[in-house]
Amino acid sequence: MKLRVLKSFQLSLSSGLLALCGVFSASAADSWHWHGFVAQGLIQADQSNFVNDDGDISTDLTELGLNGSYKLSPGWRLSGQVMYLDGGNRYATGWRIDYLFLNWTAVNSLDWQLNLYAGRFKNMHWLYSSTRDVALTRPMIVLPQSVYFDAFRDIAVGSDGLALQSTNSTTLGELEFIWSYGATPINREISQRVIATQIQGDTKQKFVHQATVFFRPADSQTQWGISLLDSDFSYRRAPVDMFFDGDFTVQRVMANWRYSAELWELSSELVQERVHARGFYLPVFERNQFAQGAFLLGSYNWSDSTRLYASYDWYTANKDDRGGALLSLQSGGLIPRYFGYQRDWGLGVTQDLAKQLRLKLEYHWITGTGRLGPNVVPAIEINRSRHHDLWAVQLMYWF
Amino acid sequence: MLLCLPGASADPLTPQVQVITHPSVQVDALSQAQLRSIYLMRQVVWPDGVAIRVFTLAPRSAANLQFCRDQLQLFPYQLERVWQKLTYSGTGTPPTELQDQQAMLQAIAATPGAIGYIGKQDETQGVKVIPIKP
Repeated sequence: MKLRVLKSFQLSLSSGLLALCGVFSASAADSWHWHGFVAQGLIQADQSNFVNDDGDISTDLTELGLNGSYKLSPGWRLSGQVMYLDGGNRYATGWRIDYLFLNWTAVNSLDWQLNLYAGRFKNMHWLYSSTRDVALTRPMIVLPQSVYFDAFRDIAVGSDGLALQSTNSTTLGELEFIWSYGATPINREISQRVIATQIQGDTKQKFVHQATVFFRPADSQTQWGISLLDSDFSYRRAPVDMFFDGDFTVQRVMANWRYSAELWELSSELVQERVHARGFYLPVFERNQFAQGAFLLGSYNWSDSTRLYASYDWYTANKDDRGGALLSLQSGGLIPRYFGYQRDWGLGVTQDLAKQLRLKLEYHWITGTGRLGPNVVPAIEINRSRHHDLWAVQLMYWF
Repeated sequence: MLLCLPGASADPLTPQVQVITHPSVQVDALSQAQLRSIYLMRQVVWPDGVAIRVFTLAPRSAANLQFCRDQLQLFPYQLERVWQKLTYSGTGTPPTELQDQQAMLQAIAATPGAIGYIGKQDETQGVKVIPIKP
């Protein structure tokens, strides 16, 4: 299967090249840019369902993509990317249009740039959200799950709608404002990964509204950011269904920070997420719950080609029940307490083998299962251990 | 012709590289923030509407290290991260990387709207030197 996919990717690249050579003149080629990446790895999470249900070593760590952008005029650009992902249980497997949007540069003066995007665009609001599937741009093979929850990846990775990005350069520093409004189509497979494997009905994201401010002070190597998210979801049950109609509101408040030195770098993101559930479990059910999470990620450039990194990620599903006691109590002891939180120590190394060829190796020591999918009805029959480790190695090439 | 970077005898406070553009570029000076906007690929046209063509040298070359530190106040890995983010999110395109400073001089001289950098002591025939204000 993997071989077929890689061959098809190779064919696509070849035909793309031929098309470029044949169709575009030299001047048109100046307006046309195309790039791609391919990454394949091995991964094992032997005591959890993070990658697969049996815990075996898996090749379900495939990411490949091909993108192009065409400058229609000095102020207009069309950009798109197709992508194939296989992350096992982590997110939906297969090809997808990752983004396809029209970009209008409304203002492009020396001190202020304003861009508008219409179509399917990436989530630009968090530190690593816009390229979380592109192995070479990701600081780790498995990102901190408190913020970058993989089961929710297909919903959080982008939106169909409108976005705006404004950057002002002043004597005090650089101020960037990002706003977006849209929604993501949710199919049955995504619902099963996020909500419950038994889900039968239709899940819909009504809207997601986000706004972010980044500030990079002048004469400083720091960056500060704050981000807000508001989103509504609905669930409509199937004729035969164990769940009821329901509505969910998800709201996030996030802060992020990054410090960059010549040889090392630190970054951190903090999140508080409110989930207001109405119905779904029972027709009259209502719950308002606040989850919290944070990670600290550090990296050190050991040499020009070797980088070491370490991370600590902390998450609690309910800020008023950090140890998961209430969760266990409310489920009549069916759900263990460790489903209420997750702590993850990660350690890794990146080795550049050639200019566009990189190898990454990392290990995670994890306690708690609060960030394993599905999220609403957890897989208690598989995730029977409070401690569960994870290792992964991934080779990546890009152009 | 070749730039000596980093020079042991060089004044550490004086930039060892200079910013150059195609002679037709209608800008006589840039602030550091404006230059950063151009190299972060946010600023894509000159004030007269001509498209900016950004050229760079290999990330680990001495000239690039000096340029990033002195003129942009960024480290090369920060620039690379931004370019990769733009490239793979569809919101921008990376600059054109050139082999050496000779190639840089030729490319800038031959490309309308081009901007790049060379050593401070290098010849600047056929290009325009742009002072960078702090």
